[in-house]
Amino acid sequence: MPNFTRAKVLMYGFVSLWSLFVMLPLLWMVLASFKTKRELFMDPLGLPGNWDTGAWGRAWDVGMGRFILNSVLVTGASVAVIIVVSGMAAYVLARSDNRWLRLVYLLIVAGFAVPVQAVLVPLYQMISGAGMLNSLGAIVLPYAAYGIPFTTVLFYAFFLDFPKELEEAARLDGCSRIRTFFMVILPLSGPAVASAAIFQAVFIWNEFVLALLMLNNPDIKTLPVGIIALGGEFTSDWPAIMAGLSIAILPILAIFVMAQKYFVRSLAGLGK
Amino acid sequence: MSGAPSGHPAAASAKRPQYSARLSAFILLTPALLLCSVFIFIPAVLAIAGSFFTFGITSRAWEPAGFSNYTKAFADPIFWTALKNNMIIVLGSITFQIGIGTILAAILDRGLPRSATVFRTIIFAPMVVSAVAVALIWQVILDPNVGALNAIIKSVGLSPPQLGWLGDPTISIWIVLMIACWQYTGFMMVLILAGLQGIPKELYEAASLDGARGLKAFRHITLPSIRNVLLVAVLITTIGGFKVFDLIYATTQGGPANATQVLGTYIYLQAFNLGNMGYANAISVVLLCIAVLLGWLQLKSSRRA
Amino acid sequence: MQRDVRTRLVGAAMAGLMALGAVLPSAVAAQEDVTIRMWALTNPNYPEFIAQAAEAFKATHPNVTIDFQETPNEAYKTAIQVALVGSEPPDVFFNWAGEDSARLVRDGLVLDITDLANEPGQFGTTLSPSWISTFSVNGRIFGAPTDAVTKYFYYDNAFFADNGLTAPTTFNELLGLCTAIRAIDPEIVPIPLGNSERWKMNHYITLMNERVMGNDALRADYSLTAADDALFTNPGYVTAWEKVLEMQSAGCFQDAPNATSPEVSRTMFSSGVSPMIFCGSWCMSIFDGEGYTDYSLFRFPPVEGGASDGNSNMVVPQGLQVAAATQHPKEAVEWISFLTSPEQAAKFAEMRGALPSDPSMLGGITATDQFKWVAADMASLAVQFNVIDVEVEASVANAYLDAGVEILNGTMTPEQAMESIRAAALAAKAAMQ
Repeated sequence: MPNFTRAKVLMYGFVSLWSLFVMLPLLWMVLASFKTKRELFMDPLGLPGNWDTGAWGRAWDVGMGRFILNSVLVTGASVAVIIVVSGMAAYVLARSDNRWLRLVYLLIVAGFAVPVQAVLVPLYQMISGAGMLNSLGAIVLPYAAYGIPFTTVLFYAFFLDFPKELEEAARLDGCSRIRTFFMVILPLSGPAVASAAIFQAVFIWNEFVLALLMLNNPDIKTLPVGIIALGGEFTSDWPAIMAGLSIAILPILAIFVMAQKYFVRSLAGLGK
Repeated sequence: MSGAPSGHPAAASAKRPQYSARLSAFILLTPALLLCSVFIFIPAVLAIAGSFFTFGITSRAWEPAGFSNYTKAFADPIFWTALKNNMIIVLGSITFQIGIGTILAAILDRGLPRSATVFRTIIFAPMVVSAVAVALIWQVILDPNVGALNAIIKSVGLSPPQLGWLGDPTISIWIVLMIACWQYTGFMMVLILAGLQGIPKELYEAASLDGARGLKAFRHITLPSIRNVLLVAVLITTIGGFKVFDLIYATTQGGPANATQVLGTYIYLQAFNLGNMGYANAISVVLLCIAVLLGWLQLKSSRRA
Repeated sequence: MQRDVRTRLVGAAMAGLMALGAVLPSAVAAQEDVTIRMWALTNPNYPEFIAQAAEAFKATHPNVTIDFQETPNEAYKTAIQVALVGSEPPDVFFNWAGEDSARLVRDGLVLDITDLANEPGQFGTTLSPSWISTFSVNGRIFGAPTDAVTKYFYYDNAFFADNGLTAPTTFNELLGLCTAIRAIDPEIVPIPLGNSERWKMNHYITLMNERVMGNDALRADYSLTAADDALFTNPGYVTAWEKVLEMQSAGCFQDAPNATSPEVSRTMFSSGVSPMIFCGSWCMSIFDGEGYTDYSLFRFPPVEGGASDGNSNMVVPQGLQVAAATQHPKEAVEWISFLTSPEQAAKFAEMRGALPSDPSMLGGITATDQFKWVAADMASLAVQFNVIDVEVEASVANAYLDAGVEILNGTMTPEQAMESIRAAALAAKAAMQ
């Protein structure tokens, strides 16, 4: 028994310690946003003297609302494209023994290995050459493209296990393959769609390099680029920077906490 | 809504199934191929082509350079520093993120199932925060003059590194690695936790009868059962480690004096700050080769599993 | 030939891209009247200045709308190059005089506005020729200087008075000041140095080189026109770095300059933690905005035994250029001329706290005593020189920036620093030929 308790204490200790390590910086960020600049500077560990909310107003005025909206639009559009496009491709590939299609599958998988930075220069020149800079399309389409390989692999595995009887029934009813995909397969792929959507959403929401290069117009900037602009805007007004970061982080953190069960379960599906 | 409408006039399409199947396969595949080609494959080909020329971001003339960009890279000590730093991040992330993630997951799964949800939520949370925001928060915490970490360390009577956490070239890359662990360990934990929850309880019971408990059971039952999950975790971490950019760009910009330079930031520096596009392309091609090689190894090992 | 391949590849890619692009609506609205896109560096109160100027410009140009965007320092240098070769370049953009603008001119991205600028009433006829020459190449005008930035030591009046300290007149006195302040309280950092972005040390070494060797001795090296065996071999370069180390060992700086951001170092001064700082002329408006006004300034003192008498300073002219791709060159030049007109220049100085292109405009404006002192001091300079990283070629600048970091960290000796800079200079020179 004493052995068992000691193990329990040790386990609680380890998990609590890591949780503390994770929580403290975020907690510190929120506290710092209520401090005055002088307090933050002279006493980095202390509590704010009189919970000044002015920094939040200053940060909001930079256009954080606009950045969040842009990020929501970009993320939503990209994820929708990724899900539909990868789903369609994976469905065809999973239902075919054709040697050429196997090659196509391998080609798409290879795309997963291409890092965005490695093709930054030509990608920029192409998008700029097509006159798409400072448009949502300038990043939605590349984001979608870079999400496709991983998502296709994920769906491919899912569709291999998908019961074929339903498709047969649909086909006997005279449904075309495209109809079958949209009316039967996709609606029944909830778990795979959720996994892929959440995984891609987290990455796209936070993507920085492409957005930094392609979006210079403040009306169209996404959150990560907007956050970098905060530093330039406020130079040494750290309370405002921390308030801006809080505005950027807290909503998505709240969504995550509310939906965490679903969130975690879906992401966990990646490992299967 | 999910059922196929049965009264649909579909006789026409049923009469030519062969043609329809080919056409619809083509239609279903085209968007994915088109997007991947335009944004992944063609730029990759252009990067490879560009690596054999000398040109700047604002210059219009491309001068043929043969393999000189590659020989320049292999003779460039900063290129090797960057590659070494990528390796440190990859190996460090595998060791710490997956290592600690596995321990945390095992504790939450077997040891503390009742408080698992709370801890899981907290530990996963940094994953949803943008790396740029993460960098800004840590930058202020790690500041040598006004930072919270130095204040804590001094308050317990220790002395922080003299050149600063991010200013000392011998430790800065490790600090960046620590920040990466802060952010991604929770993700690894969740992945692994899902794998653990898929292990049948009977396995543990049987093992327990044979006298295998605790660490022994972990080694002989848990680890082999989550082999596939660990492989996925290693794949995500490795590719992520070679692709790393945001975190370093926003914390140190590769400094002090290139001590935290990685391939991603060095490509950016050469291309957009120093205007050596051709050279940046050559480094890109090296990164591309590494990533493709890793992907291929991964594919092979996961097939065998 | 090689261009053909590239053009064809890019062309094919673009065709595909445009097909895709048609699916998503472009976020940029169609323009009917003339819109002048203007890009500039993020600076306090600059957007407000531009907003009122754009409003006033409407009186003479009712059809012209100014679309203004600002970008912070490090990102701007990248963004502007990328934008100029992109599909949506700004019409009018901010730039530093020197290598930055010269390279864009060489690459044909900046419009030659000599003729437009010399139309009656335009800036070519109103600004002083010596000012205009800062943005001229071979006698052709490629931009208009709007203001200049320079560097001074700032000090806390109260702290200096309380401790009986006075502004130094030589470099050794500056070192003595650091020692004296450390003697008052070893915890006080006399001159905080925020070198995390590398340019702070670059300003020090720019001045140190000039103070040690004199401006004329540097020209051939900076422009890479010196002979190969002479390039950056003047022993003065090593001496200049040694002077930096002397400051470090006199305790002038804090322990971790390379991990300290410029903002932190600036705030250490403005919050009273440190009694001195080496800061740009732009810092005045930042300190004033923070409500800290009890400071005075002095110029970087001459170095004992150095070639410069100290009646010189680093002055970086900055101004506005017109993109070669602009659709509205006439309106763009008229807008620049409007911004540099006496009335707007005075507003610029007042709102931004910037030193305008013509110091004579400062007479009537409300300004702080420090601002007037700086304006007068700048007018009295015998020699002005630019900062190293805009004077030399990009890879040499990068070597200089990195050397500063390594010297401060003690990972390079001054001799090793100059070896690496010389190597970079030789490589750059070879690549140019």
